[in-house]
Amino acid sequence: MAKVYQDLRSFLTTLEENGQLVRIKDEVDPEPDIAAAGRAAANLENGPAVLFENIKGYPYSVVTNVHGSWANHALMLGMPKTASTKEQFHEINRRWDKYPVKPEILSREQAPCKENTIDNPDEINLFDILPLYRINEQDGGFFLSKASIITADPTEPENFDKLNVGTYRIQVKGRNRVGIQALAFHDIAVQLEAAERKNEKVPICITVGNSPLVTYMASTPVMYTQNEYEFVGALQDGVPTRIVKSDLFDNLYVPAGSEVVLEGYIEPRVREVEGPFGEFPGSYSGSRRQCVITITHITHRTNPIFENLYLGIPWTEIDFLIALNTSVPLYQQIKRDLPEVQAVNAMYTHGIGCIISTKVRFGGFGKEVAFRLLSTPHGGSYSKIIIIVDEFVDPFNLPQVMWALTTRVRPDKDVVVIPNCPGMPLDPSSYPAGIHSKLIIDATTPKDPEPNPREAELLEPPAGYEKYEALIRKLMAEM
Amino acid sequence: MKCPRCDSNKIEVIATSPVGNVWEVYECMDCFYSWRSTETPNIHEKFKLTKEQIDNLPVIPPVPPLDK
Repeated sequence: MAKVYQDLRSFLTTLEENGQLVRIKDEVDPEPDIAAAGRAAANLENGPAVLFENIKGYPYSVVTNVHGSWANHALMLGMPKTASTKEQFHEINRRWDKYPVKPEILSREQAPCKENTIDNPDEINLFDILPLYRINEQDGGFFLSKASIITADPTEPENFDKLNVGTYRIQVKGRNRVGIQALAFHDIAVQLEAAERKNEKVPICITVGNSPLVTYMASTPVMYTQNEYEFVGALQDGVPTRIVKSDLFDNLYVPAGSEVVLEGYIEPRVREVEGPFGEFPGSYSGSRRQCVITITHITHRTNPIFENLYLGIPWTEIDFLIALNTSVPLYQQIKRDLPEVQAVNAMYTHGIGCIISTKVRFGGFGKEVAFRLLSTPHGGSYSKIIIIVDEFVDPFNLPQVMWALTTRVRPDKDVVVIPNCPGMPLDPSSYPAGIHSKLIIDATTPKDPEPNPREAELLEPPAGYEKYEALIRKLMAEM
Repeated sequence: MKCPRCDSNKIEVIATSPVGNVWEVYECMDCFYSWRSTETPNIHEKFKLTKEQIDNLPVIPPVPPLDK
């Protein structure tokens, strides 16, 4: 049984035991030191998490780059820290099939996140609890970049399947006020629209500092009616994750081990300036008028740790976090209908670029696979450049993908542009923001009834090459 | 004090450091830009805002009509 974490703290201990967490004990300034360390850790091969123990003016600590390397990502799954990206992809897929695993609901007394309570709305002050800081120089304020946010469907608040756990950027706007980015194609926007049509507040819990797989699932594009907590149990290889009822709202459940839980409401029909904010494409997304939340209640662990991430020019922590958790659900959703699909690599810029490996059932099938991607909840808006390769090409191996492009693509028939499709507004090439063209490149070998006047016969490796691989490895090890 | 982004003078102190008296955080009540007293904001020209620009910023997500 793989190692399972029910809170952030136990995972940080494992990271430290594996040489994947460093502590900075000297006092630092909130700006620019915490952001600089996040950038620096991401620049290193297998960069560690960085824990700041002493931040000027604040009582508590900050940890950054928790998910920011393949080693940390493997440890999150309880795998050896040397596990390859492809090994991690297949292991996640194996566990994915265990969904749903019902979470374990703890009593209030059992839940560490309830150790301390601030229930007087006049005493709410986020700066007392969280060492808030600016992430990038031109950001409009201090942001929570890694919170797991819980909301229910206002038309069916009791429906646990429709309870949503998602990650949305949060801008701090006062001691008890924050802004939230609720993009129209994300689940929270469905719930917000239903409430705003009736001019009703949206109950919300913002949780900070969670077990690594809670954060992982919060940023995973599963279907609207799939509960993320039930996926956390699956990815924990069948071990349920622990949750507890929110103090204010009977239908909202938060991770029992959260460091900090902020409870409050999205104010209906209100939009205020939010941003700019440096985003995962490596550029700033400009100011927009976005939603506002009032926080009225806080619970937190004693000595809470503020878990936050740096994001900027790829790769940073967020690119590791959203690499496989974008690829796996897209693979699962496409494979359900098209079992010929072998693997999906949606690691690049949150799936804006996507490479799919598939067997070709009949002529033109590569394009059918691309169309299926473009009708998934995530691929529909995000995926812009789609490359389809044969089943013998590893989509995670870019030299192999370049081989497929150079030897399988006839641009006059294999390259297609579809204008005026749903797009991702944070992609700086999307114009107008939220609209883009789709580029499909079919790099598969033609199959009947598509004519293939020049058959491409693949070379077979010379007999006995496996034996020589083993021998050469052995001889090198002995040198 | 003026907002470094939109030049408004509607500035409030939204926080003082919980430990020691080492910084304050200010916020503009017109454009919601915030900064710490220990920072020196240097807003790029393209990110500055006028009142007219604020009123015309895109709205995310759109506000739906009220049910009858």
